[in-house]
Amino acid sequence: MSSVSKSSIERSDKVLRVVIYIVSIFFSILTLFPFFLMFINATRSSAEIQRYAVSFISEHPIQNLQKNWAVFNGKDFHPATGFLNSFIISTGATILNVYFSSLTAYAISAYEWKFRDTFNAIIMAIMMIPGTVTMIGFYQAVYKLGLTNKLSMLILPAIAAPMTVFFMRQYLQATLSMEIVQSARIDGAGEFRIFNQIVVPLMKPAIATQAIFGYVASWNQLFTPLILLTNKKKATLPMMVDLLNGDIYRTEFGSIYLGLSITVLPLIIVYAFLSRYIVEGVALGGVKS
Amino acid sequence: MRNKKLVNYAKYGYLFSIPFIVAFCIFTLYPVIYTFVIGFTDLKGLANTDWSILPFKDPKTGEAWYIFKNFKEVLTSQTFAKAFRNTWIIWIMNFIPQITFGLLFTAWFTDRRSKVKGQGLFKILFYMPNIITAATIAMLFNVMFQFPKGPINDLMGGIAKLFGHQREPYQYLLKEWPVKSIIAFIQFFQWYGHTMVNLIAGVIGISPEIFEAAEIDGANRVQTFFRITIPCIRQILLFVLVTALIGGLNMFDVPQQFINTQANNAGLTTNMYIRNQAFSGSYLYNRAAAASVVLFLVIVFFSMILFFIMRDKDEARLKKLRKQELKAAKKGF
Amino acid sequence: MKKVIASVLSVAMVAAIAAGCNDTKPTATETQPGTEPVETSDGETTAETEPTETEKETMTLGTGSEHINLWSFTNEVPNMVNKYISLHPEFGEKYTVDVTIIATTNGAYQPALDAALAAGGQDAPDLYTAEAAFVLKYTQGSASQFAATYKELGIDVDAKIKEAAIAPYTIDIGSRNGEVVGLGYQATGGAMIYRASIAQEVFGTDDPAKIEEIFGSGSQSWDKFWEAADKLKAAGYPIVSGDGDIWHSVENSASSGWVVDGQLNIAPEREAFLDMSKKLHDEGLSNLSSDWQPAWFADMNGTSEHNAFCFFGPAWLLNYSMHDNVGGNFADGEGTNGDWRVCAPPVGFYWGGTYLIANKDTDNKEGVKEFIEWVTLDSSDTGLQYFWANGTMVDGEVGTKDCVSSGTVMAKSNGEVEICGGQNIFPAFIKGNEYASGKCMTEYDEKINSYWRDAVNMYSNGECDRDAAIAQFTQNVNDNLSF
Repeated sequence: MSSVSKSSIERSDKVLRVVIYIVSIFFSILTLFPFFLMFINATRSSAEIQRYAVSFISEHPIQNLQKNWAVFNGKDFHPATGFLNSFIISTGATILNVYFSSLTAYAISAYEWKFRDTFNAIIMAIMMIPGTVTMIGFYQAVYKLGLTNKLSMLILPAIAAPMTVFFMRQYLQATLSMEIVQSARIDGAGEFRIFNQIVVPLMKPAIATQAIFGYVASWNQLFTPLILLTNKKKATLPMMVDLLNGDIYRTEFGSIYLGLSITVLPLIIVYAFLSRYIVEGVALGGVKS
Repeated sequence: MRNKKLVNYAKYGYLFSIPFIVAFCIFTLYPVIYTFVIGFTDLKGLANTDWSILPFKDPKTGEAWYIFKNFKEVLTSQTFAKAFRNTWIIWIMNFIPQITFGLLFTAWFTDRRSKVKGQGLFKILFYMPNIITAATIAMLFNVMFQFPKGPINDLMGGIAKLFGHQREPYQYLLKEWPVKSIIAFIQFFQWYGHTMVNLIAGVIGISPEIFEAAEIDGANRVQTFFRITIPCIRQILLFVLVTALIGGLNMFDVPQQFINTQANNAGLTTNMYIRNQAFSGSYLYNRAAAASVVLFLVIVFFSMILFFIMRDKDEARLKKLRKQELKAAKKGF
Repeated sequence: MKKVIASVLSVAMVAAIAAGCNDTKPTATETQPGTEPVETSDGETTAETEPTETEKETMTLGTGSEHINLWSFTNEVPNMVNKYISLHPEFGEKYTVDVTIIATTNGAYQPALDAALAAGGQDAPDLYTAEAAFVLKYTQGSASQFAATYKELGIDVDAKIKEAAIAPYTIDIGSRNGEVVGLGYQATGGAMIYRASIAQEVFGTDDPAKIEEIFGSGSQSWDKFWEAADKLKAAGYPIVSGDGDIWHSVENSASSGWVVDGQLNIAPEREAFLDMSKKLHDEGLSNLSSDWQPAWFADMNGTSEHNAFCFFGPAWLLNYSMHDNVGGNFADGEGTNGDWRVCAPPVGFYWGGTYLIANKDTDNKEGVKEFIEWVTLDSSDTGLQYFWANGTMVDGEVGTKDCVSSGTVMAKSNGEVEICGGQNIFPAFIKGNEYASGKCMTEYDEKINSYWRDAVNMYSNGECDRDAAIAQFTQNVNDNLSF
């Protein structure tokens, strides 16, 4: 009896495995498709792309790549400057975002204070405010105060990131045990130190995921920097790629794809680095350290 | 030792929240109040400095509640109604597969027994569509579905030819349902990996001992997932649901780049409606602000429902108990 | 693992601190206009990349102590600044031109420009450009209060316009209450651009004068166009690629604008576009393509199943868009290069164009005036338009030849282009400029046109009936623009 059921379990295991692989491989191909298109189109000329957007190989890939690159230079495209600005903004914003969100979430989860629930409710509410609502007022304020062309205007708002706080709080509620905190207190550790040395390591998987999301969102934002950074020395990479859009009559598609490819590469690197926390699959909770 | 225990930890709660509160007041609160106020004014037109809050009564007809004029205009506008309906339809069309596949992949890739080979690679790949800007992907899809010579039409024509049929190219971008479906698909394509990553982060946070115990008790995979994993990641699941709802109702980039207002607004969302009002043509800031407030209230309403459904019943009971105890203690004194 | 994180964090911290430093630098230079921010940034780029010669040139638009803020949506005008500085070094010594370029495609240029204009002050644009689709807003509409009249700048406009014979429709567009506030450098009057080989086959001639007769050029009537369309169809050629090709003619020949007395108004000529588009669709007179899409380009390089006979467009359509897409030489059987001819269109129109506008609050009136005058009104051999028309913007290279707004310059320029088999294209476009009208425009046209085109598209494709199309259009306009 039992041997029969065991073999049927094994068989269903095998079927499941095949299903998993088929579905996963299908989604992987789907995923890679836009990247493939982007990199291939970077080696094609604008005219080729206009005539046929999806294709495998260009007639003259190297030549076109050079031409597309030349268009950059003609259009004031400075990958190094753009990269540096994007890097400063995204890195700064991401660090502030995850650190202060963790801190705020910890304040809500670990301490009993009078306005805690009110504060938490407010954060929830803020999260639900549509971005468009803040947009109109924010631009007006920045312009009024003459704070345009300051990278910090794109970095500092990350301190108050309600979505991340919400995630961190949810995560802490599921994983944080106050016993660990208590025992650290007994050892004489200060509250701030407990947060930095015990709670933050505990939150690694959460921090890694939110850092990725934050980095990607910050790196890719276009509309806000376009309006706030008018000095081209402050331009970010996506802004520079956007320049290639020019006007509708003369769009340099080949260069746009090349620009997009260049823009996306650093993200892939950051992602590859941070994703190990998601991928490794080891429990990083308080139990195993 | 005794002293330590008496330390009032509450002050750290305030202390640690200060940076958030300060940044929030400067970068969010002020703009939000500004926008909310505008909803009750006659501010329209570019660089208009001569605007004021609407009077309570219509100065012409004497009708009451004139101050809500912008809101009335929004709520009676057919275009807004359509945008609102579209947003929900597209969101549901994208969210159901998104959460299904998100959960499915989470179950597969966190299952301790059937260690899927190459799962690390899959996990990395599935999030990748989220890296490219939404506008870019939407643009790519728009080009692909062009009529009469877009890649998809060519491909379908080629397949039809293989089977000896003649297929007329199809106007995907003029039909309501194809437009909505493609937008929903793009949204799904970009976000299922994101959902999966969030959920997996939640599962990783679960103590392995719980799984070990379940295994020893002889729970099968399905049981483990539904009885152990899901309840343990309920908090994260709530996060996923709420953020998906908020993100979905704020949908903008994809439909904007993919179709804009074409096909008789088949892909128009509420957020697009708001921006159309505010940043193009007549600069109807007041109406855009009113519409934003409406959108905000809708999001709050539905989020509340989610919070209620997903609430931690045990925790709520505990809280109640504690409050009662406190009260009793106070009475005792 | 901890070490890795710690090191990453510390690197990031350094970066964040660097960000802080970067932030303070420009503030210092802002308060001291005497220092040169250009130099520091140049130093940065040399350190990281190896800038080519061109890169350096575009970075440094002058070295002077007086700053002119230039806002534009392409690099065309900034490149003109370069050219001007290379011709007049003293301009570069006196001024530094700070360029802000924001592409129009994402809809960010106007909001950003509007915010900067409304905010005023040191960073406000001194000189800005607007595209024909939205220029009315800045010359006559809701943002026109920021514009200085050319007279205020000290330009003797009337005399200069006469001397340069500026295309009249551009003056209509660029005038606020009869005073010029913005002018362009291009003339974008449209012509009919047709395939010589098809003309030869169907009409027995490819001579522009004869084709003009067959199509009733300048008659402001579509009758002969439809007659020709039937003939072409009988021979297996659609007359145009899509309905977008004739739209600009329809749009510009309307007897009234989209908005009259604050109400939406559908001019009969524009309403007729519904039927024209339907006719093209139902009778198989076009390839059903949309502008800027693969099927449209396929008609340019002759790879459609049935190639379209003609396009309607200004010189830039021919010299940029078609030029890049015609493929190989027609004579070699590889594409359509050399097989195109140009003649005046049946119904006059213009399409596109960039206009230059000065801020009335500019603190560098002199410099702005000098540059604007050189670009828009200088009809001499060293004026911008002469270089632009003859494709000599870059020394020693024959670049793209384009029509310019000065008739005087056009008359002395050489418009022979290879794509048209050596035909001098300018006479046809000059006629086009004369037929074009800029009178029936409103600042909402860009938006309203897109709603109209969509409604027409739905109708001609049988997605809705005629009344529903008009109702849909009216609803969209009223709900979004509040008339």
